[in-house]
Amino acid sequence: MKGGSVARLDNMSGKGNAAGPHDSQQAPLLVAPGEDLGDSEDYEVGHGVIVMDGRLRATKQGQMKKDGKSVSILPSRTKYFPRPGDLVIGLVEGCTNNIWFVDIGAPFNAILPMSLGPAKMEFGGTRSVIDIGEAILCRVQEVEETHSSVVTMKGMGLRKIRSGVVEDIDPHLLGRLIGRQGKALRQLKEDTECRVVAAENGRIWIDGDFEGMLEVRTRLRAMTAEAKAATPGGVA
Amino acid sequence: MGYGDVQMIDENGIRVDGRKAGDVRPISIELGVVPVADGSCRMTWGTNEVIVAVYGPMEAHPRKIQRQDRAVLDVRYNMAPFSTSDRIRPGFNRRSREISKVTSDALESVVLLELYPRSKIRVEIEIICAEAGTRCVGLTAASVALADAGIPMTDLVVSVASGKINGVVVCDLNKAEDNYGEADLPMGVLPNSGELAFLQMDGDLSQEEFQEAWDYNMEAAIVIGDYCAEALKNGGYNL
Amino acid sequence: MSIPLVPQLLRSHLVELAENDQRLDGRRQWDGREVQLEIGILGNAEGSAKVRMGDTIVYAGVKFQTMTPYSDRPNQGGLMCSAELRPVAGRKHEPGPPSPESIELGRVVDRGIRESGCIDTEALCIIPGEKAWQVILDLYAISDDGNLFDAFALAGIAALRNAVIPFAKYELGDDRPLDVSKTPIMCSYHRVGGRYVYDASGREELGGDERIHITLGADAHVHSLQKGLKGTFTAGEFAELMEQARIKGDELRDLVHSLEGGN
Repeated sequence: MKGGSVARLDNMSGKGNAAGPHDSQQAPLLVAPGEDLGDSEDYEVGHGVIVMDGRLRATKQGQMKKDGKSVSILPSRTKYFPRPGDLVIGLVEGCTNNIWFVDIGAPFNAILPMSLGPAKMEFGGTRSVIDIGEAILCRVQEVEETHSSVVTMKGMGLRKIRSGVVEDIDPHLLGRLIGRQGKALRQLKEDTECRVVAAENGRIWIDGDFEGMLEVRTRLRAMTAEAKAATPGGVA
Repeated sequence: MGYGDVQMIDENGIRVDGRKAGDVRPISIELGVVPVADGSCRMTWGTNEVIVAVYGPMEAHPRKIQRQDRAVLDVRYNMAPFSTSDRIRPGFNRRSREISKVTSDALESVVLLELYPRSKIRVEIEIICAEAGTRCVGLTAASVALADAGIPMTDLVVSVASGKINGVVVCDLNKAEDNYGEADLPMGVLPNSGELAFLQMDGDLSQEEFQEAWDYNMEAAIVIGDYCAEALKNGGYNL
Repeated sequence: MSIPLVPQLLRSHLVELAENDQRLDGRRQWDGREVQLEIGILGNAEGSAKVRMGDTIVYAGVKFQTMTPYSDRPNQGGLMCSAELRPVAGRKHEPGPPSPESIELGRVVDRGIRESGCIDTEALCIIPGEKAWQVILDLYAISDDGNLFDAFALAGIAALRNAVIPFAKYELGDDRPLDVSKTPIMCSYHRVGGRYVYDASGREELGGDERIHITLGADAHVHSLQKGLKGTFTAGEFAELMEQARIKGDELRDLVHSLEGGN
């Protein structure tokens, strides 16, 4: 689990173009939705770009990225969108006899079927295992086109969160929190002697002694404020 | 016309607030003004002041309102009780319902709702201070707030109204002109494609006057579209 | 208004924070968030104010109407105070008829102002038995990150204090400022993690229990009290809240008066 959240930094960019904010060579080109980005011929369309009448068009506000043949937008602000394999922290919102409904901070809730739960249990025993209002560390198993999505708790380190605290940050700040090869996050853990798990949906599980947890939170807040000040849009 | 004796435009073509026929009132745009929202925008336009907050995309509750193939766009236009000269009693209001609907229809034309099946996007348009043309300001500000929330859309929608006063076609009616004018033509233009997503009209215009009003709106929309794009890139415009 | 889920981790964390005399955002028990107050900002209102407390933002607007005095009080005008929790203010606020919470909000603020006697309703009379002014205070939340009560009460009294009665608009003479003789201030306390704190944020309210609202005048006279939500409290706890409300109330009253000095 330790490396789980560190592996994928490009949470926000589309598949096939992993250009993170650190790889930017030229000055960032800021765009607004609807803006024309040139002829679509010979280009692949990445996140936040569509083709209309043979022209590339931005659909989001943010920085334009050209990576080889692929054009994408690194949005200034966007909602977490789940993809299979993502490590996320979910909040159980409800349950039936064999299913939990989990808020994963996405545009739609996910379900956790009893068969993918943390332990063997009787039909009708969901609440005694994970109650409404409890938080879980889980992985996205499946997202269908119609946005039926399933999370699983089968896997290394996936569990119910019993102690500590969960904080929210904007998902696009995860790269900043984690740093190159996970350096910043590792440093944060060392300095505060806390367990810090950064899930891809922007929820951060902090667990350790009381003073350490306060310190982590203070630093998260400072980071968000810093990012806000540094963004041209003024919003982080 | 009953209001023929009210002189709203002088012999040099200067309007009551000093503008020329084709001029738009001063505009400012500020982003992130509702800190608890996913995206927000405050727009002042003349003495109009409008705040828009966007929430979502999020799980649509209750389940029966969910659409399996796209997101639900829930748009509400509302005037604060103290936004006008005479207090508006809170509660159900046919005018607000109609404006909410046409605003929603216009925004649905540009927002890529099909990317978010089963979700809901809430757009809350609050008129804090009304002068004239609040539906135009509300629609324009709503498209900026949606962009601020990172919701994918093919274009912004910029809305502006032209009309006729003392027989002269003018752009962007102010309150006095709106009260005493002979016609009002609000349009919602997609600034990058030049297409229209919103159109209303009431009053009396000849074909020539209509064309003139249409052209004023088109020109103004391109300019205001640039303000909006600048606001989105730089965190605000003309603050 | 939909009831948000209370995350159980948050609840136990709030208890831990309280035991260590800490709060989620680093404040101490009786600390408020930074308060920004602006007055006279709405062009179409006869009096107005905007209050920002942290990420809570509210507007207050004053409008006047003429009314027929009630037959049992022919020499008096009226004051009406209404609070609206529009869905713009947060994810949990839903459209529909006024929620019980918004009605409670409006009424608690109303009582604090009305019972302080800061507005002389007899001075609002135009023609006894026939015509009088009705003062309407509308409270409007734009962003709800907790403690709307105090934000509304502060914006409300500040808006009334810069209101001008529109005599000219009704062809009754020259406009005159509304005479507001006092500045009642509300201070609200929520039980969070087992103890009371001042000016709870949205997350603290989420994991909190009962709340107590105290409105005091300059002479520390009590004008309104309200206990909300489930939970109980002791006389000793209340005595401490009253003491804290005196201190905080004086600070906020000075803030309101400091803006008026500049006009």
